[in-house]
Amino acid sequence: MNIDRRKFVTRGAAGMAGMLIGGSLTGKSAAGIPAAAATPASGPQPYDLMKEVMQYRKIDTHAHIYWTDDSPETQLDYGRRLGIDRQVISRYLDVMPGTPDQFRKFNDLTIKAIKKYPDHLIGGFVLNPVYKQESLDEIKRCTDAGMVGPGELYYQVKINDPRYYPVIEKLIDLKMIIHSHGECQLGVGGYRMKYNGHKQPNTSIPEDFVAIARRYPEGIFQYAHIGMGGDWEYECKLFRDCPNIYVDTSGSNNAENMIDFAVEHLGEDRLFFASDNSYYQGVGKILAANLTERQKQKIFFDNYNNLLKKGGRGVD
Amino acid sequence: MLIDSNAYIGHWPFLKLEYNTPEALLGRMQEFGTDVSVISNLNGIFYKNTQHANEELRDAIRSKRAYRDRFIPFAVINPIYGGWRDDFETCATTMGMKGVRLYPQYHGYDIAALPCIELVKMCRDKGLPVAFCLRMVDSRTSSWMDLDKEWTLKNIVPIVKAVPDAKYMIVNVAGSMALSGEEMSLFRKADLLMDSSGRSMTNWSDLLKQFGTGKFCFGTHSPILDYFSGLLRIESLRKNEADEHTKELLRSGNIKGLLGS
Amino acid sequence: MLIDINAYTGHWPFMQLQYGTCATLLARMNKFGVHLSVISNLNGIFYKNTQSANRELYDELRSLGQHSSRFLPFAVINPTYAGWQHDLEECVKKFGMKGVRVYPKYHDYEINDPSLVELVKKARDMDLPVAFNYKMVDSRQRSWMDIDYVAYTPKPEWSLKNIFPIIKAVPDAKYMILNVTNSMQLEEADAALFRKANVLMDTSGRTINDLGNLLKTQGTGRFAFGTHAPILDYLTGMLRIEALRESEASTVTKELLRSGNAKKFLGL
Repeated sequence: MNIDRRKFVTRGAAGMAGMLIGGSLTGKSAAGIPAAAATPASGPQPYDLMKEVMQYRKIDTHAHIYWTDDSPETQLDYGRRLGIDRQVISRYLDVMPGTPDQFRKFNDLTIKAIKKYPDHLIGGFVLNPVYKQESLDEIKRCTDAGMVGPGELYYQVKINDPRYYPVIEKLIDLKMIIHSHGECQLGVGGYRMKYNGHKQPNTSIPEDFVAIARRYPEGIFQYAHIGMGGDWEYECKLFRDCPNIYVDTSGSNNAENMIDFAVEHLGEDRLFFASDNSYYQGVGKILAANLTERQKQKIFFDNYNNLLKKGGRGVD
Repeated sequence: MLIDSNAYIGHWPFLKLEYNTPEALLGRMQEFGTDVSVISNLNGIFYKNTQHANEELRDAIRSKRAYRDRFIPFAVINPIYGGWRDDFETCATTMGMKGVRLYPQYHGYDIAALPCIELVKMCRDKGLPVAFCLRMVDSRTSSWMDLDKEWTLKNIVPIVKAVPDAKYMIVNVAGSMALSGEEMSLFRKADLLMDSSGRSMTNWSDLLKQFGTGKFCFGTHSPILDYFSGLLRIESLRKNEADEHTKELLRSGNIKGLLGS
Repeated sequence: MLIDINAYTGHWPFMQLQYGTCATLLARMNKFGVHLSVISNLNGIFYKNTQSANRELYDELRSLGQHSSRFLPFAVINPTYAGWQHDLEECVKKFGMKGVRVYPKYHDYEINDPSLVELVKKARDMDLPVAFNYKMVDSRQRSWMDIDYVAYTPKPEWSLKNIFPIIKAVPDAKYMILNVTNSMQLEEADAALFRKANVLMDTSGRTINDLGNLLKTQGTGRFAFGTHAPILDYLTGMLRIEALRESEASTVTKELLRSGNAKKFLGL
């Protein structure tokens, strides 16, 4: 049956102007595909990946050493392979309860490594603010030993817990970058807790970083590993209006567009290149992003080094 | 004049859709005589970051002059996702969105949860309607990965109770419409519209009497449901069920009022 | 020459993709020097009727004209859904598809489901590779609507042990194992059988970070370049090959990884 459906209803067309979007659509364009991408070129262009890899100086701002005999040599070898000049290493405190004896022992491992490889390894210390005085003493001991700031602080206490305040105030005095583990996974640390992530309950989540960054606007906070596997869109969106939260790009997850999205939301100055020992993904995700030469230089090296320089700890 | 209060573009993960682009939807509108459609982006139901879906919708409407005159965009906001307040502000101002669609079941929060109430109040303060859908698809035919529970009208009551002076749209009313006397009174007083796409929109004589003639409007739930049934429910009303004035309210008058035109 | 054995077009429901079409993938291939991509449609993971997705891929490739020769399409088949035998025939004979991708977790059946065994045997008889992957996205960033195989929980992500039963059931089929992100450990007897099987693994997964050693234990003929694009970044899978030292992989071995193994496996 071929009916004229248009005649089925009464028609008129008045009074719609205010409801239509009309000329009010003046927002910025979505993060998108370069215009050229839609028009395929004639064929594959020569691309020398290793030349691209080696042309950028790099500080890996989040890496770890291990108790095994091959550490830190294995980590250093990845660095040589991928043109990473320096790595900020720590032995993260993956034990509970994380006593002073434990964190001192962990830091001793790092001190030993940086003393052996001072040109390539930068030390980060760990602590547990449950033990206030011991933690403050450890900051001094590690700083005297040449460490530049905290390594990846871990899950014993949430980063915005009042027990952290004296530690954070000390780190601010010392102009150090406050680097902490964070997660944004269903069920972890309060993020949509109806799910069970089987993680330590005091794991910091993005909201905890926002809280502490607002309490200490003069602090410089490094949110660890947006590539760890957490919800990087959520993280970047939440941190957009917190200029003193920086993110490191490390983690085993190298989702396409993660770096572009982070630059769009945080700006090119608030990303630090890092691997968290996933070295290939660490470098690959930066080079696959749509970044300018200058942006790559900043993320691979300058952003972090400029902050180190503020505390007199720059590497060049 | 005919205004479709409930249409979509975008992708439905579990089924290939045939009319899910602005061009295809416009074709359906022209075929069936619809002047204007309220549209949102289906992708916003599933993207964790719904703002990407809103940006896609904005870009789609901007892509052709004709679309700007025929589509009224609604944003999808998830009030328990990072940055949603910024997203809402951007949608309501620079993007020119004229309402907000919420999906508590898909996004995983209670309809009367505090963030939802906060968002509905923000919409109220800007004069923007808030739309809830009782179901996107029939749960019996959907995927094993889709929701397993549909809503009835009663599920909407808590938010109307919490923010009685907001503007509401309830679309695809497919389950029970039973309300207690108190709830019915709340609904009758509220600035609230239900669209004609849902299968519960059958006994119009009673519905118009129970809720009032100002509580309903044309909607297709296109491209998930067929384009025609929602319209047929209105056009097939007999004179003793709805006079021409009432039909005009259903075709466009009521939705124009809600949208503030 | 570079052949990517693990790329997609289509839509991922839970996240906007930046390069989710054949045209945008082609631009990535051209930019980074990739000649050919094995491609399938992400929509087939979620559509109940996967044939809609296969038809979409066929139509999309046709719309590319001569550039369609840069792609090798694989069908997505759900062997527990009605009509899959007909779909497979149509995919091969009409759509020109060269392999099959299966998603037991998303399509909700077990790895030893008789219908999967039937499909794999059918694919073997048609000389089609069957591709499995460990996971599509990292479970730690999954949507609450996505499947709930989650790392470090009682229902963890897959490892090789989860895929192996089908290889044991049909040892003479051709298998691709993609996005290898967790353990490759097997019991000794199973490992011996796995070594004999005709298997090709791609370099997109994080377990391949140790490719130098894997070449020693698995042999040089079992790996090939893969991106898992557009879900993972385009370069990391390539970097794992290009950053190999001469002591780990000779020029000949690198060429096998870039394209030689894929050519042989796919009969190109």
